[in-house]
Amino acid sequence: MPAFRTIGLVVNPFAGLGGRVGLKGTDGLADRALALGAEPLAPARAAMALAPLAGHGLRFVTASGKMGEEALARAGIPDSACVYGPGVPSTAADTRAACRAFLDDGVDLVLFCGGDGTARDVADVVGTDVPVLGIPAGVKMYSSVFALDPGTVARVVLADGPARLADAEVIDVDEEAYRANDFRTVLHAIVRTPSAPGLVQASKRVFEEADEDRARAAIGAFIADAMRPGVLYLLGPGTTTGAVAERLGVNATLLGFDAVLDGRLVGADLAETDLLALLGDGREARLVLSVIGAQGFVLGRGTQVVTPAVIRRIGPEHLIVLGTPGKLARTPRLHVDTGDPALDRAFGPYLRVVTGYGTAQRKRVGADTPA
Amino acid sequence: MPQAYYNREAGIERLATETGAGQWGSALAFATSHFEMDCTVYMVRASYEQKPYRKMMMQVWGADCHSSPSTLTASGRAMLEKDPDTTGSLGIAISEAVEDAATHANTNYALGSVLNHVCLHQSVIGLEAREQLASVDDYPDVVIACVGGGSNFAGTAFPFAGDKLTGKHPDVDIIGVEPAACPTLTKGLYAYDYGDEAGLTPMLMMYTLGHDFVPPAIHAGGLRYHGDSPIVSKLVKDGVARAVSLYQNEVFEAAQTFARTEGIIPAPEAAHAIRTAIDVALECRKTGEAKTILFNNSGHGHFDLASYEAYYAGNLPDYDYPEELIRDALSRLPKVA
Repeated sequence: MPAFRTIGLVVNPFAGLGGRVGLKGTDGLADRALALGAEPLAPARAAMALAPLAGHGLRFVTASGKMGEEALARAGIPDSACVYGPGVPSTAADTRAACRAFLDDGVDLVLFCGGDGTARDVADVVGTDVPVLGIPAGVKMYSSVFALDPGTVARVVLADGPARLADAEVIDVDEEAYRANDFRTVLHAIVRTPSAPGLVQASKRVFEEADEDRARAAIGAFIADAMRPGVLYLLGPGTTTGAVAERLGVNATLLGFDAVLDGRLVGADLAETDLLALLGDGREARLVLSVIGAQGFVLGRGTQVVTPAVIRRIGPEHLIVLGTPGKLARTPRLHVDTGDPALDRAFGPYLRVVTGYGTAQRKRVGADTPA
Repeated sequence: MPQAYYNREAGIERLATETGAGQWGSALAFATSHFEMDCTVYMVRASYEQKPYRKMMMQVWGADCHSSPSTLTASGRAMLEKDPDTTGSLGIAISEAVEDAATHANTNYALGSVLNHVCLHQSVIGLEAREQLASVDDYPDVVIACVGGGSNFAGTAFPFAGDKLTGKHPDVDIIGVEPAACPTLTKGLYAYDYGDEAGLTPMLMMYTLGHDFVPPAIHAGGLRYHGDSPIVSKLVKDGVARAVSLYQNEVFEAAQTFARTEGIIPAPEAAHAIRTAIDVALECRKTGEAKTILFNNSGHGHFDLASYEAYYAGNLPDYDYPEELIRDALSRLPKVA
C-alpha cells in the first residue's frame, strides 16, 4: 500500500527557461528568456515523471492549465481535480496559492516541477507539514528536495509501506549576485522529503541506520557527550546540528549559527562580527557543520557568516562534520567553498563525517578525480 | 580440529561458538561432524545477511547456525531490545555462545580467536611458511596478516615474532592490518576489558575499543572485533609487531589488482594483508630495496561477491573511527574504581 494517495502537483511553467539562454536562473526574467528564444521545458519534464504514475489509483489535485493540469493530461492522468486557477502568465504567488489550496485539500505529498526558486515558494507555504518532492527542471537545483531523475519520482511515490522521510534543505541562490559571478547562497528552509527505499541499493544488506531521525538523534547524543568544558562550539545550520542542540536542551536557530559553551547557549543566529567577538584571542573552539544540499557542501552554501577569518581563528583542523548515513549515501563527494582557495585546500582531500554514536565515514572532498 | 578433538576426549558432546564472516564457524562445523559432535554457531547478523551461503556450508556439516543477536539467549534478547536493527558484532555473538554453553548440559564453548590456545593452533601456518621459505634458502623481511581477534595474525606471525625476540632475526618487520572502521591496535586503549559484549568472559589485558563498541558493518566481517588477542596486543605494545589500518575502498582496489594478476579472488579480510603487501612492495620499488614479503592470503572471496558488487557500484562507505571525539565522550563518563 503506497504511503501517498492524494498528491498535489504544481508546475512552474517558466522553470529552466533561463538555462539554455545563459541567464543563470529565470527569477523575474521569464519574458526576456522567451524573447531570447527559450523553450519551456518544465511541462515536458513533469509529464515524463508523471507518466509512470498513471493507472495506480492515485488522486491528483493541481492548478489549471500550464501549472499542472496539462502535464497530467499529457502523462495520461486526465481525471485530476483543479483546485486553483492561476493568472496568465503565472507567477511565484500562484505557486504559493496553489500549495495553500493543496494543504486545504489534505494532500499526502506536494510534488512540484521547477528549480530552487520554485522549491523556495513551495517551502514557504508547505514547511514541514506535508512531504515535498521536486521534479528537477530548473536552472539551479542546489536544494536537496529534487529526485535524481524523472524515473526516481515514480519509484519514491509508489514505494510500498509507510513513507520514509528525510529532512531536505531548500537552498536559495541570489540570482542577481550570481549573474554578476558572485555565488551567494542562503539556506532558505528545511522541508521533509520522501526517500527511495532502493537508494542504498547494493549495500542494502549492509545495515545502516536507515531511519534519519534516529540517526540524527544518535549523532546529537554523541557530539553532546563529546563536548568539552571551556570549549566554544559553533553549531551551523541544519537539522543534524540541530539534533546536538536538542540533546543539550538549548533552543537553536535552524538556519543560522549558534554558539554553545559548557552546555549553554551563549549566542544565537550570529553574524561574522559576533563570531569573531566570541572567539576573541585564541579561545578554543569547534565548528560543527552538517552536509548541506544535494551537492554535499560543508562550507560555502548557507554558511557565509563563517568567513575565512572566522575559520582561521578556529583552525581548519577543528571542524566537526555531521551527516546521516542516508545523506552520505546520496552524496558522492563533499565540497568546501570558503571563498579562499588556499583555506579550502587546508581541509585536505578527505573529511571525516560523524554518522552516528561513535561512528564516522571518510568522504572525499572536491571534484570527481581519482584518489 | 584440535578444539573439537580435545573436547571430545573430555567427553563433551556439543560445542557452541561464534563466527564473524563464517570461516571459523564452517571449520568448527566440519571438525565437530568429524568427531560426531553437535555444534551450534552464532553468526554475526551483518555477515549472516551478507553471506547466506556460509550458513548453508555449516548446515552441510550438520551445525545449527543462528543469526546473532538471536532470541535464543538472554544476552541476545537484551541486545535486540536495545537496538532491534543492530548489525551484531563478534562481541555479541561471543556472549551468546558463552551463555549457550553455560546453560546447556555437556556443552562447551569454543572460541575462534583471541585466546592463547587458538593462536597456538593457528601457528601451524607461520611454521609451515617458514619451512617453505627455508627450503628455498629465504626468510621474510616483512610478514603481513590481517587482524580481527588476532588468531590469523598470530598464526602467521608468532613463529617470526619468536625469531625476532630470540635475536635470530631481529629485523623482521611484522605488520598487522586492521580496518579503519575498527582500529583496535592503532587507536584502541591498552587496558583490561571483557572479550564479549555482555561481559560474561574473564577480563583480558588487550587493546580495546570498549566491549560495547559495535563496529560499522564493513564487509570484512571477520575483522569486526572490539578487542584483540592479549599476546598480539603485547607484541604491538612492545614494538615487536606494528599495526596499520585501511579503509574499505583501498582494500577492495587491492583485492581487484590481486584477482586480476593472480587469478584468485580474495576475501575482504585477506585483502587487507594484500593491500599492505602491495604498499610495501611499491615502497621497495621507490627505494630500490629488494625485500622478501610474506603475507597470508587467508581466505577466498567467493562468499563475498556481494561486497565486490557494492564496490563496483560505488556503494562502499569508507567507515572511519572518530577517535578524538570518542576520547572526549569517554572522558566525561564517571570513573569506576
